[in-house]
Amino acid sequence: MIAKLFGIETEYGLSVEGHSPSEQVHDSINLVSQCQVDHWSGWDYANESPRHDLRGFTVESLSTDPNDATWDLSSTSPPHHNERNDKILVNGSRLYNDHGHPEYATPECTRILDLVAHDIAGENIVYDCCRLLESKIRRHVKVYKNNIDYYGSSYGTHENYLVPRTFQPKLLIEKLLPLLISRPLLVGAGKISPKNKNSLPFEISQRAEHLTEIASVDTLYRRPIFNTRDEPHADPKQWMRLHVICGDANRMQWANAMKFGMIQIVLDLIASEATPVWRLTNINHSLQSVSQQHEKFGKIELEGSSWTTGAHILESYLEAAEKHLKDKHPETDWVIDEWRTALCDLIDDPYRLSDRVDWVAKLKIFEAMAPIRHQDSTTLKAFDLAYSDISPETSLYTAWEMMGNTRTLVNKSRVRDSMFTAPQDTRAALRGEIVKKFSNRLLTLGWRRAVFDHGDETIQIDLPVVPTNWTSLVSDDFLGWLSQISEISRLQEHNQRSNA
Amino acid sequence: MAYSERRERDLPSPARKPSEDEGPSKPNVRKPDEENELIKRMKKVDPEQAKRYRQRSGQ
Repeated sequence: MIAKLFGIETEYGLSVEGHSPSEQVHDSINLVSQCQVDHWSGWDYANESPRHDLRGFTVESLSTDPNDATWDLSSTSPPHHNERNDKILVNGSRLYNDHGHPEYATPECTRILDLVAHDIAGENIVYDCCRLLESKIRRHVKVYKNNIDYYGSSYGTHENYLVPRTFQPKLLIEKLLPLLISRPLLVGAGKISPKNKNSLPFEISQRAEHLTEIASVDTLYRRPIFNTRDEPHADPKQWMRLHVICGDANRMQWANAMKFGMIQIVLDLIASEATPVWRLTNINHSLQSVSQQHEKFGKIELEGSSWTTGAHILESYLEAAEKHLKDKHPETDWVIDEWRTALCDLIDDPYRLSDRVDWVAKLKIFEAMAPIRHQDSTTLKAFDLAYSDISPETSLYTAWEMMGNTRTLVNKSRVRDSMFTAPQDTRAALRGEIVKKFSNRLLTLGWRRAVFDHGDETIQIDLPVVPTNWTSLVSDDFLGWLSQISEISRLQEHNQRSNA
Repeated sequence: MAYSERRERDLPSPARKPSEDEGPSKPNVRKPDEENELIKRMKKVDPEQAKRYRQRSGQ
Protein backbone atom coordinates (compact mmCIF):
# COMPACT_ATOMS: atom_id res chain seq x y z
CA MET A 1 0.00 0.00 0.00
CA ILE A 2 1.44 3.36 -1.02
CA ALA A 3 -0.55 5.52 1.42
CA LYS A 4 0.99 4.85 4.82
CA LEU A 5 -1.69 6.57 6.85
CA PHE A 6 -5.12 7.93 6.06
CA GLY A 7 -7.94 9.70 7.83
CA ILE A 8 -11.16 11.61 7.25
CA GLU A 9 -12.33 15.02 8.46
CA THR A 10 -16.07 15.71 8.70
CA GLU A 11 -17.50 19.21 9.07
CA TYR A 12 -21.01 18.76 10.47
CA GLY A 13 -23.99 20.98 9.74
CA LEU A 14 -25.34 22.62 12.91
CA SER A 15 -28.73 24.14 13.57
CA VAL A 16 -29.84 25.66 16.88
CA GLU A 17 -33.50 26.58 17.29
CA GLY A 18 -34.03 30.31 16.85
CA HIS A 19 -30.40 30.99 15.87
CA SER A 20 -29.06 32.20 12.51
CA PRO A 21 -25.63 31.61 10.91
CA SER A 22 -24.53 34.83 12.65
CA GLU A 23 -24.46 32.79 15.89
CA GLN A 24 -23.18 29.57 14.33
CA VAL A 25 -19.54 30.01 15.33
CA HIS A 26 -20.48 30.44 18.99
CA ASP A 27 -22.95 27.55 18.78
CA SER A 28 -20.25 25.31 17.34
CA ILE A 29 -17.74 26.35 20.03
CA ASN A 30 -20.37 25.60 22.68
CA LEU A 31 -21.15 22.21 21.18
CA VAL A 32 -17.47 21.16 21.12
CA SER A 33 -17.16 22.28 24.76
CA GLN A 34 -19.67 19.59 25.76
CA CYS A 35 -17.25 16.77 24.85
CA GLN A 36 -17.28 14.16 27.64
CA VAL A 37 -14.67 11.82 26.13
CA ASP A 38 -11.29 12.22 27.89
CA HIS A 39 -9.30 14.86 26.05
CA TRP A 40 -6.57 17.48 26.19
CA SER A 41 -7.49 21.02 25.10
CA GLY A 42 -5.09 22.59 22.61
CA TRP A 43 -3.43 22.01 19.25
CA ASP A 44 0.05 22.33 17.77
CA TYR A 45 -0.20 24.88 14.95
CA ALA A 46 3.59 25.19 14.54
CA ASN A 47 3.83 23.17 11.33
CA GLU A 48 0.76 24.52 9.53
CA SER A 49 1.26 26.53 6.35
CA PRO A 50 -2.06 26.97 4.54
CA ARG A 51 -0.72 29.43 1.92
CA HIS A 52 2.10 27.15 0.70
CA ASP A 53 1.14 25.14 -2.36
CA LEU A 54 2.53 21.65 -3.03
CA ARG A 55 3.22 22.72 -6.57
CA GLY A 56 5.98 25.04 -5.37
CA PHE A 57 4.52 28.50 -4.80
CA THR A 58 2.92 30.54 -2.02
CA VAL A 59 -0.26 32.62 -2.36
CA GLU A 60 -0.53 36.04 -0.70
CA SER A 61 -3.87 35.40 0.96
CA LEU A 62 -6.73 32.92 1.15
CA SER A 63 -10.21 33.77 -0.15
CA THR A 64 -13.23 34.03 2.10
CA ASP A 65 -16.89 33.49 1.29
CA PRO A 66 -18.71 36.83 0.76
CA ASN A 67 -21.93 35.41 2.26
CA ASP A 68 -20.09 34.58 5.50
CA ALA A 69 -18.86 38.17 5.69
CA THR A 70 -22.52 39.26 5.66
CA TRP A 71 -23.33 36.92 8.55
CA ASP A 72 -20.36 38.31 10.49
CA LEU A 73 -21.64 41.88 10.04
CA SER A 74 -24.97 41.00 11.64
CA SER A 75 -23.41 39.04 14.51
CA THR A 76 -23.95 40.53 17.95
CA SER A 77 -21.45 38.18 19.63
CA PRO A 78 -17.91 39.41 20.26
CA PRO A 79 -15.05 37.35 18.77
CA HIS A 80 -14.29 34.32 20.92
CA HIS A 81 -10.85 34.19 22.57
CA ASN A 82 -10.49 30.52 21.65
CA GLU A 83 -12.37 30.22 18.38
CA ARG A 84 -11.10 26.78 17.39
CA ASN A 85 -11.72 25.26 20.83
CA ASP A 86 -9.38 22.39 19.87
CA LYS A 87 -9.66 19.10 21.70
CA ILE A 88 -7.46 16.04 21.22
CA LEU A 89 -9.34 12.96 22.33
CA VAL A 90 -8.07 9.81 24.00
CA ASN A 91 -8.78 7.89 20.77
CA GLY A 92 -6.20 10.03 18.95
CA SER A 93 -8.80 12.14 17.08
CA ARG A 94 -9.28 15.91 16.95
CA LEU A 95 -12.59 17.68 17.66
CA TYR A 96 -12.89 21.43 17.10
CA ASN A 97 -14.87 24.29 15.64
CA ASP A 98 -14.08 25.03 12.00
CA HIS A 99 -15.82 28.14 10.63
CA GLY A 100 -18.99 27.41 12.58
CA HIS A 101 -19.03 23.68 11.92
CA PRO A 102 -18.15 21.09 14.59
CA GLU A 103 -15.37 19.12 12.90
CA TYR A 104 -14.22 15.62 13.80
CA ALA A 105 -10.93 14.42 12.32
CA THR A 106 -10.43 10.69 12.79
CA PRO A 107 -7.17 9.34 14.13
CA GLU A 108 -4.76 8.05 11.48
CA CYS A 109 -5.62 4.56 10.24
CA THR A 110 -3.94 1.92 8.07
CA ARG A 111 -7.05 -0.23 7.54
CA ILE A 112 -10.24 0.96 5.91
CA LEU A 113 -12.55 -0.75 8.39
CA ASP A 114 -10.75 1.00 11.26
CA LEU A 115 -11.45 4.23 9.41
CA VAL A 116 -15.13 3.37 8.99
CA ALA A 117 -15.43 2.57 12.71
CA HIS A 118 -13.68 5.79 13.76
CA ASP A 119 -15.80 7.90 11.43
CA ILE A 120 -18.99 6.56 13.05
CA ALA A 121 -17.38 6.94 16.50
CA GLY A 122 -17.07 10.62 15.55
CA GLU A 123 -20.82 10.76 14.78
CA ASN A 124 -21.56 9.33 18.23
CA ILE A 125 -19.22 11.73 20.02
CA VAL A 126 -20.66 14.76 18.19
CA TYR A 127 -24.21 13.54 18.86
CA ASP A 128 -23.48 13.19 22.60
CA CYS A 129 -22.24 16.82 22.53
CA CYS A 130 -25.44 17.82 20.72
CA ARG A 131 -27.70 16.28 23.42
CA LEU A 132 -25.73 17.94 26.23
CA LEU A 133 -25.85 21.32 24.51
CA GLU A 134 -29.61 20.95 24.06
CA SER A 135 -30.19 20.36 27.75
CA LYS A 136 -27.83 23.19 28.66
CA ILE A 137 -29.35 25.92 26.48
CA ARG A 138 -32.91 24.50 26.47
CA ARG A 139 -33.31 24.83 22.70
CA HIS A 140 -33.57 22.16 20.02
CA VAL A 141 -30.16 21.42 18.49
CA LYS A 142 -29.75 19.42 15.28
CA VAL A 143 -26.53 18.10 13.78
CA TYR A 144 -26.37 16.85 10.20
CA LYS A 145 -23.75 14.75 8.44
CA ASN A 146 -24.08 16.32 5.01
CA ASN A 147 -22.34 18.97 2.90
CA ILE A 148 -24.97 21.55 1.94
CA ASP A 149 -27.76 23.81 2.99
CA TYR A 150 -30.26 24.60 0.25
CA TYR A 151 -29.13 28.21 -0.23
CA GLY A 152 -25.69 27.68 -1.80
CA SER A 153 -23.46 27.04 1.23
CA SER A 154 -21.26 23.97 1.37
CA TYR A 155 -18.94 22.42 3.96
CA GLY A 156 -16.56 19.57 3.56
CA THR A 157 -15.75 15.94 4.15
CA HIS A 158 -12.05 15.72 3.47
CA GLU A 159 -9.86 12.69 2.83
CA ASN A 160 -6.18 12.63 3.75
CA TYR A 161 -3.61 10.17 2.44
CA LEU A 162 0.03 10.34 3.49
CA VAL A 163 2.14 9.43 0.44
CA PRO A 164 5.89 9.52 -0.26
CA ARG A 165 7.26 12.87 -1.39
CA THR A 166 8.74 11.14 -4.42
CA PHE A 167 5.32 11.35 -6.12
CA GLN A 168 4.87 14.41 -8.33
CA PRO A 169 1.73 16.36 -7.30
CA LYS A 170 0.93 17.04 -10.96
CA LEU A 171 1.02 13.31 -11.75
CA LEU A 172 -1.20 12.42 -8.78
CA ILE A 173 -3.76 15.01 -9.84
CA GLU A 174 -3.74 13.91 -13.49
CA LYS A 175 -4.09 10.20 -12.65
CA LEU A 176 -6.71 10.55 -9.92
CA LEU A 177 -8.94 13.16 -11.58
CA PRO A 178 -10.91 10.77 -13.86
CA LEU A 179 -11.68 8.55 -10.85
CA LEU A 180 -12.78 11.45 -8.66
CA ILE A 181 -15.15 12.78 -11.31
CA SER A 182 -16.69 9.32 -11.82
CA ARG A 183 -16.78 7.81 -8.33
CA PRO A 184 -19.98 9.58 -7.12
CA LEU A 185 -21.78 6.86 -9.13
CA LEU A 186 -20.69 4.44 -6.37
CA VAL A 187 -20.06 6.66 -3.33
CA GLY A 188 -22.12 9.85 -3.82
CA ALA A 189 -24.42 10.92 -0.98
CA GLY A 190 -27.13 12.38 -3.25
CA LYS A 191 -29.27 15.48 -2.76
CA ILE A 192 -32.52 17.07 -3.83
CA SER A 193 -31.69 19.64 -6.47
CA PRO A 194 -34.68 21.29 -8.17
CA LYS A 195 -32.38 23.03 -10.63
CA ASN A 196 -31.45 19.71 -12.23
CA LYS A 197 -33.69 19.90 -15.29
CA ASN A 198 -32.37 16.70 -16.85
CA SER A 199 -34.69 14.21 -15.17
CA LEU A 200 -35.54 14.01 -11.46
CA PRO A 201 -34.91 17.02 -9.16
CA PHE A 202 -31.99 15.02 -7.80
CA GLU A 203 -28.18 14.85 -8.04
CA ILE A 204 -25.97 11.99 -6.92
CA SER A 205 -23.19 14.24 -5.53
CA GLN A 206 -23.60 16.81 -2.76
CA ARG A 207 -20.33 18.56 -3.57
CA ALA A 208 -20.11 18.58 -7.39
CA GLU A 209 -22.14 21.77 -7.71
CA HIS A 210 -19.74 23.58 -5.35
CA LEU A 211 -16.45 22.65 -7.05
CA THR A 212 -14.99 25.08 -9.56
CA GLU A 213 -11.25 24.37 -9.56
CA ILE A 214 -9.11 21.28 -10.03
CA ALA A 215 -6.40 22.21 -7.50
CA SER A 216 -5.96 25.13 -5.13
CA VAL A 217 -5.09 26.12 -1.55
CA ASP A 218 -8.38 28.04 -1.30
CA THR A 219 -11.16 26.05 0.31
CA LEU A 220 -13.90 28.47 1.42
CA TYR A 221 -14.59 30.00 -1.98
CA ARG A 222 -13.88 28.74 -5.51
CA ARG A 223 -13.40 25.26 -4.08
CA PRO A 224 -11.06 22.73 -5.67
CA ILE A 225 -11.16 18.94 -6.03
CA PHE A 226 -7.63 18.77 -4.58
CA ASN A 227 -6.53 21.03 -1.75
CA THR A 228 -2.84 21.48 -2.54
CA ARG A 229 -1.73 23.21 0.67
CA ASP A 230 1.65 21.81 1.60
CA GLU A 231 0.98 20.47 5.07
CA PRO A 232 2.15 16.86 5.27
CA HIS A 233 1.81 16.63 9.07
CA ALA A 234 5.00 14.56 8.89
CA ASP A 235 8.61 15.09 7.80
CA PRO A 236 8.19 17.20 4.62
CA LYS A 237 11.40 15.79 3.15
CA GLN A 238 9.86 12.31 3.10
CA TRP A 239 6.12 12.79 2.93
CA MET A 240 3.31 14.79 1.44
CA ARG A 241 -0.39 14.79 2.10
CA LEU A 242 -2.84 14.03 -0.69
CA HIS A 243 -5.82 16.11 0.43
CA VAL A 244 -9.01 15.26 -1.49
CA ILE A 245 -11.88 17.62 -0.69
CA CYS A 246 -14.49 16.79 -3.32
CA GLY A 247 -16.02 13.82 -1.44
CA ASP A 248 -19.49 13.64 0.10
CA ALA A 249 -20.34 12.87 3.73
CA ASN A 250 -21.48 9.26 3.71
CA ARG A 251 -23.82 7.57 6.17
CA MET A 252 -23.36 4.18 4.50
CA GLN A 253 -20.41 2.22 5.89
CA TRP A 254 -19.75 0.56 2.54
CA ALA A 255 -19.56 3.87 0.66
CA ASN A 256 -17.11 5.27 3.19
CA ALA A 257 -14.92 2.16 2.95
CA MET A 258 -14.93 2.18 -0.84
CA LYS A 259 -14.20 5.90 -1.04
CA PHE A 260 -10.85 5.19 0.61
CA GLY A 261 -10.33 1.76 -0.92
CA MET A 262 -10.68 3.02 -4.49
CA ILE A 263 -8.19 5.87 -3.97
CA GLN A 264 -5.69 3.49 -2.36
CA ILE A 265 -5.97 1.21 -5.37
CA VAL A 266 -5.37 4.05 -7.81
CA LEU A 267 -2.36 5.20 -5.77
CA ASP A 268 -0.95 1.68 -6.05
CA LEU A 269 -1.66 1.69 -9.79
CA ILE A 270 0.15 5.03 -10.13
CA ALA A 271 3.16 3.52 -8.34
CA SER A 272 3.06 0.58 -10.79
CA GLU A 273 2.64 2.97 -13.77
CA ALA A 274 -0.52 1.03 -14.64
CA THR A 275 -3.29 3.64 -14.56
CA PRO A 276 -5.61 3.95 -17.57
CA VAL A 277 -4.97 7.03 -19.70
CA TRP A 278 -7.85 9.49 -20.02
CA ARG A 279 -7.37 12.95 -21.52
CA LEU A 280 -10.18 15.02 -20.02
CA THR A 281 -11.39 18.46 -21.01
CA ASN A 282 -14.10 20.69 -19.52
CA ILE A 283 -13.79 19.15 -16.06
CA ASN A 284 -16.57 21.27 -14.54
CA HIS A 285 -19.09 20.18 -17.13
CA SER A 286 -18.15 16.52 -16.61
CA LEU A 287 -18.48 16.83 -12.82
CA GLN A 288 -21.98 18.25 -13.19
CA SER A 289 -22.93 15.73 -15.83
CA VAL A 290 -22.05 12.69 -13.67
CA SER A 291 -23.93 14.23 -10.76
CA GLN A 292 -27.04 15.17 -12.76
CA GLN A 293 -27.32 12.49 -15.44
CA HIS A 294 -26.82 9.40 -13.35
CA GLU A 295 -29.19 7.29 -15.45
CA LYS A 296 -26.72 7.67 -18.34
CA PHE A 297 -23.67 7.46 -16.00
CA GLY A 298 -22.70 11.03 -16.96
CA LYS A 299 -21.05 12.40 -20.07
CA ILE A 300 -17.34 13.02 -19.57
CA GLU A 301 -15.70 15.13 -22.23
CA LEU A 302 -12.38 14.03 -23.72
CA GLU A 303 -9.82 15.73 -25.92
CA GLY A 304 -10.56 15.56 -29.64
CA SER A 305 -14.33 16.17 -29.33
CA SER A 306 -14.81 12.69 -27.91
CA TRP A 307 -16.56 11.63 -24.73
CA THR A 308 -17.06 8.69 -22.39
CA THR A 309 -19.15 7.87 -19.31
CA GLY A 310 -18.33 7.68 -15.62
CA ALA A 311 -19.12 3.96 -15.70
CA HIS A 312 -16.53 3.39 -18.45
CA ILE A 313 -13.90 5.25 -16.45
CA LEU A 314 -14.66 3.23 -13.29
CA GLU A 315 -14.44 0.04 -15.37
CA SER A 316 -11.04 1.04 -16.79
CA TYR A 317 -9.50 1.57 -13.33
CA LEU A 318 -11.06 -1.66 -12.08
CA GLU A 319 -9.70 -3.68 -15.01
CA ALA A 320 -6.22 -2.29 -14.35
CA ALA A 321 -6.54 -3.20 -10.66
CA GLU A 322 -7.70 -6.74 -11.47
CA LYS A 323 -4.74 -7.15 -13.80
CA HIS A 324 -1.97 -5.61 -11.68
CA LEU A 325 -3.00 -5.72 -8.00
CA LYS A 326 -5.02 -8.91 -7.46
CA ASP A 327 -3.81 -11.51 -4.92
CA LYS A 328 -1.23 -9.22 -3.32
CA HIS A 329 -3.07 -7.90 -0.30
CA PRO A 330 -6.35 -9.09 1.32
CA GLU A 331 -7.74 -5.58 1.75
CA THR A 332 -7.01 -4.69 -1.87
CA ASP A 333 -8.70 -7.91 -3.02
CA TRP A 334 -11.77 -7.07 -0.96
CA VAL A 335 -12.03 -3.59 -2.52
CA ILE A 336 -11.56 -4.99 -6.04
CA ASP A 337 -14.26 -7.65 -5.51
CA GLU A 338 -16.69 -5.13 -4.03
CA TRP A 339 -15.96 -2.66 -6.83
CA ARG A 340 -16.68 -5.32 -9.48
CA THR A 341 -19.94 -6.39 -7.82
CA ALA A 342 -21.12 -2.81 -7.37
CA LEU A 343 -20.28 -1.79 -10.93
CA CYS A 344 -22.28 -4.77 -12.24
CA ASP A 345 -25.19 -3.70 -10.02
CA LEU A 346 -24.95 -0.09 -11.17
CA ILE A 347 -25.19 -1.09 -14.81
CA ASP A 348 -27.77 -3.91 -14.41
CA ASP A 349 -30.05 -2.38 -11.79
CA PRO A 350 -28.84 0.58 -9.69
CA TYR A 351 -31.55 -0.02 -7.08
CA ARG A 352 -29.58 -3.09 -5.94
CA LEU A 353 -27.09 -0.60 -4.46
CA SER A 354 -29.63 0.77 -1.98
CA ASP A 355 -27.95 -1.19 0.83
CA ARG A 356 -24.49 0.32 0.14
CA VAL A 357 -24.75 3.67 -1.66
CA ASP A 358 -26.38 6.71 -0.05
CA TRP A 359 -27.75 8.32 -3.21
CA VAL A 360 -29.55 5.12 -4.19
CA ALA A 361 -30.93 4.61 -0.68
CA LYS A 362 -32.22 8.20 -0.75
CA LEU A 363 -34.07 7.62 -4.01
CA LYS A 364 -35.77 4.54 -2.57
CA ILE A 365 -36.59 6.29 0.70
CA PHE A 366 -37.99 9.41 -0.95
CA GLU A 367 -40.19 7.20 -3.13
CA ALA A 368 -41.58 5.40 -0.09
CA MET A 369 -44.34 8.00 0.24
CA ALA A 370 -44.99 8.77 -3.43
CA PRO A 371 -43.09 9.03 -6.72
CA ILE A 372 -40.53 11.82 -6.46
CA ARG A 373 -42.03 13.64 -9.44
CA HIS A 374 -45.31 14.02 -7.57
CA GLN A 375 -43.79 15.52 -4.40
CA ASP A 376 -42.96 19.17 -3.86
CA SER A 377 -39.31 20.15 -3.53
CA THR A 378 -39.74 21.71 -0.06
CA THR A 379 -40.86 18.38 1.39
CA LEU A 380 -38.20 16.44 -0.52
CA LYS A 381 -35.47 18.74 0.82
CA ALA A 382 -36.80 18.14 4.34
CA PHE A 383 -36.52 14.37 3.78
CA ASP A 384 -33.03 14.86 2.36
CA LEU A 385 -31.98 16.77 5.47
CA ALA A 386 -33.63 14.21 7.76
CA TYR A 387 -31.61 11.41 6.13
CA SER A 388 -28.37 13.13 7.26
CA ASP A 389 -29.67 13.90 10.78
CA ILE A 390 -27.27 12.08 13.16
CA SER A 391 -29.91 11.57 15.86
CA PRO A 392 -30.68 7.83 16.09
CA GLU A 393 -34.24 8.74 17.14
CA THR A 394 -35.19 10.85 14.12
CA SER A 395 -32.75 10.12 11.27
CA LEU A 396 -34.22 8.58 8.11
CA TYR A 397 -30.89 6.88 7.45
CA THR A 398 -31.00 5.22 10.87
CA ALA A 399 -34.55 4.00 10.18
CA TRP A 400 -33.32 2.49 6.90
CA GLU A 401 -30.47 0.82 8.80
CA MET A 402 -32.78 -0.44 11.61
CA MET A 403 -35.01 -2.06 9.00
CA GLY A 404 -32.05 -4.19 7.90
CA ASN A 405 -31.60 -2.40 4.58
CA THR A 406 -27.87 -1.57 4.87
CA ARG A 407 -24.62 -3.50 4.65
CA THR A 408 -22.86 -3.57 8.04
CA LEU A 409 -19.05 -3.72 7.93
CA VAL A 410 -18.30 -2.74 11.55
CA ASN A 411 -20.59 -3.57 14.45
CA LYS A 412 -21.70 -1.30 17.29
CA SER A 413 -19.20 -2.77 19.72
CA ARG A 414 -16.27 -1.91 17.44
CA VAL A 415 -17.64 1.60 16.98
CA ARG A 416 -18.03 1.98 20.76
CA ASP A 417 -14.41 0.87 21.29
CA SER A 418 -13.28 3.38 18.69
CA MET A 419 -14.78 6.24 20.72
CA PHE A 420 -12.20 5.61 23.43
CA THR A 421 -9.34 3.72 21.77
CA ALA A 422 -7.02 4.72 18.92
CA PRO A 423 -5.98 2.32 16.16
CA GLN A 424 -3.09 0.48 17.85
CA ASP A 425 -0.88 0.30 14.77
CA THR A 426 -0.47 4.02 14.05
CA ARG A 427 0.96 7.07 15.77
CA ALA A 428 -2.60 7.88 16.91
CA ALA A 429 -2.09 5.23 19.62
CA LEU A 430 0.80 7.29 21.01
CA ARG A 431 -1.28 10.45 20.89
CA GLY A 432 -4.07 8.69 22.77
CA GLU A 433 -1.60 7.39 25.38
CA ILE A 434 -0.25 10.89 25.88
CA VAL A 435 -3.75 12.30 26.43
CA LYS A 436 -4.61 9.46 28.80
CA LYS A 437 -1.46 9.40 30.92
CA PHE A 438 0.64 12.52 30.51
CA SER A 439 -1.62 15.43 29.54
CA ASN A 440 -0.55 17.29 32.73
CA ARG A 441 2.95 17.53 31.22
CA LEU A 442 1.87 18.59 27.73
CA LEU A 443 2.98 21.91 26.26
CA THR A 444 1.60 21.10 22.82
CA LEU A 445 0.37 18.16 20.78
CA GLY A 446 -0.67 17.63 17.16
CA TRP A 447 -0.61 15.12 14.32
CA ARG A 448 3.16 15.12 14.12
CA ARG A 449 4.75 15.77 17.52
CA ALA A 450 4.31 16.16 21.25
CA VAL A 451 6.19 18.61 23.42
CA PHE A 452 6.38 18.06 27.19
CA ASP A 453 7.35 20.21 30.13
CA HIS A 454 10.04 18.34 32.07
CA GLY A 455 11.17 20.68 34.82
CA ASP A 456 13.89 22.95 33.48
CA GLU A 457 13.76 21.47 30.01
CA THR A 458 11.26 20.60 27.31
CA ILE A 459 11.15 17.18 25.70
CA GLN A 460 9.88 16.79 22.14
CA ILE A 461 8.98 13.46 20.56
CA ASP A 462 8.07 12.99 16.90
CA LEU A 463 5.10 10.69 16.43
CA PRO A 464 6.43 8.16 13.89
CA VAL A 465 4.69 7.62 10.57
CA VAL A 466 5.80 4.01 10.11
CA PRO A 467 3.01 1.66 11.27
CA THR A 468 4.10 0.09 14.53
CA ASN A 469 2.29 -2.03 17.09
CA TRP A 470 2.12 0.18 20.17
CA THR A 471 0.11 -2.22 22.33
CA SER A 472 3.20 -3.18 24.36
CA LEU A 473 3.47 0.33 25.84
CA VAL A 474 2.63 -0.35 29.47
CA SER A 475 4.63 2.10 31.58
CA ASP A 476 2.71 4.76 33.49
CA ASP A 477 5.98 6.44 34.46
CA PHE A 478 6.83 9.28 32.05
CA LEU A 479 10.55 8.54 31.65
CA GLY A 480 9.92 4.79 31.50
CA TRP A 481 7.31 5.39 28.81
CA LEU A 482 9.68 7.57 26.77
CA SER A 483 12.32 4.87 27.08
CA GLN A 484 9.86 2.24 25.78
CA ILE A 485 8.96 4.40 22.78
CA SER A 486 12.61 4.93 22.02
CA GLU A 487 13.29 1.16 22.18
CA ILE A 488 10.31 0.28 19.93
CA SER A 489 11.32 2.97 17.41
CA ARG A 490 14.91 1.66 17.43
CA LEU A 491 13.71 -1.90 16.75
CA GLN A 492 11.38 -0.65 14.03
CA GLU A 493 14.21 1.20 12.26
CA HIS A 494 16.41 -1.91 12.57
CA ASN A 495 13.67 -4.06 10.98
CA GLN A 496 13.18 -1.56 8.20
CA ARG A 497 16.91 -1.56 7.42
CA SER A 498 16.93 -5.38 7.46
CA ASN A 499 13.91 -5.56 5.14
CA ALA A 500 15.50 -3.03 2.78
CA MET B 1 4.01 -5.76 9.21
CA ALA B 2 2.39 -8.49 11.21
CA TYR B 3 -1.26 -7.61 10.68
CA SER B 4 -2.14 -9.63 7.59
CA GLU B 5 -3.95 -12.35 9.57
CA ARG B 6 -6.13 -9.78 11.33
CA ARG B 7 -6.91 -8.07 8.07
CA GLU B 8 -8.26 -11.28 6.58
CA ARG B 9 -10.68 -11.71 9.46
CA ASP B 10 -11.68 -8.07 9.24
CA LEU B 11 -13.08 -8.17 5.76
CA PRO B 12 -16.58 -9.46 5.10
CA SER B 13 -17.31 -11.30 1.86
CA PRO B 14 -18.70 -9.32 -1.04
CA ALA B 15 -22.50 -9.08 -1.04
CA ARG B 16 -22.88 -10.93 -4.28
CA LYS B 17 -20.42 -12.20 -6.84
CA PRO B 18 -21.11 -11.05 -10.39
CA SER B 19 -22.55 -13.74 -12.59
CA GLU B 20 -22.83 -13.85 -16.36
CA ASP B 21 -26.21 -15.53 -16.03
CA GLU B 22 -27.78 -12.54 -14.35
CA GLY B 23 -29.46 -9.97 -16.54
CA PRO B 24 -31.19 -6.65 -15.98
CA SER B 25 -34.20 -6.67 -13.71
CA LYS B 26 -36.92 -4.20 -12.89
CA PRO B 27 -36.09 -1.62 -10.21
CA ASN B 28 -37.29 -2.80 -6.85
CA VAL B 29 -39.33 0.15 -5.72
CA ARG B 30 -41.62 -1.76 -3.37
CA LYS B 31 -43.21 0.59 -0.86
CA PRO B 32 -42.42 -0.38 2.72
CA ASP B 33 -45.29 -1.34 5.01
CA GLU B 34 -47.39 1.53 6.28
CA GLU B 35 -46.36 0.97 9.85
CA ASN B 36 -42.64 0.61 9.32
CA GLU B 37 -40.18 2.83 11.13
CA LEU B 38 -39.18 4.74 8.02
CA ILE B 39 -42.72 5.80 7.18
CA LYS B 40 -43.39 6.71 10.80
CA ARG B 41 -40.37 9.02 10.82
CA MET B 42 -41.13 10.50 7.40
CA LYS B 43 -44.59 11.47 8.60
CA LYS B 44 -43.02 13.31 11.52
CA VAL B 45 -40.50 15.28 9.41
CA ASP B 46 -41.24 18.99 9.54
CA PRO B 47 -41.66 19.92 5.85
CA GLU B 48 -40.31 23.40 6.54
CA GLN B 49 -37.09 22.27 8.23
CA ALA B 50 -34.89 22.51 5.13
CA LYS B 51 -36.27 25.97 4.41
CA ARG B 52 -35.11 27.15 7.85
CA TYR B 53 -31.73 25.42 7.56
CA ARG B 54 -29.05 28.03 6.76
CA GLN B 55 -25.33 27.40 7.19
CA ARG B 56 -22.07 29.28 7.02
CA SER B 57 -19.72 28.04 4.33
CA GLY B 58 -17.13 25.54 5.42
CA GLN B 59 -14.10 24.24 3.61
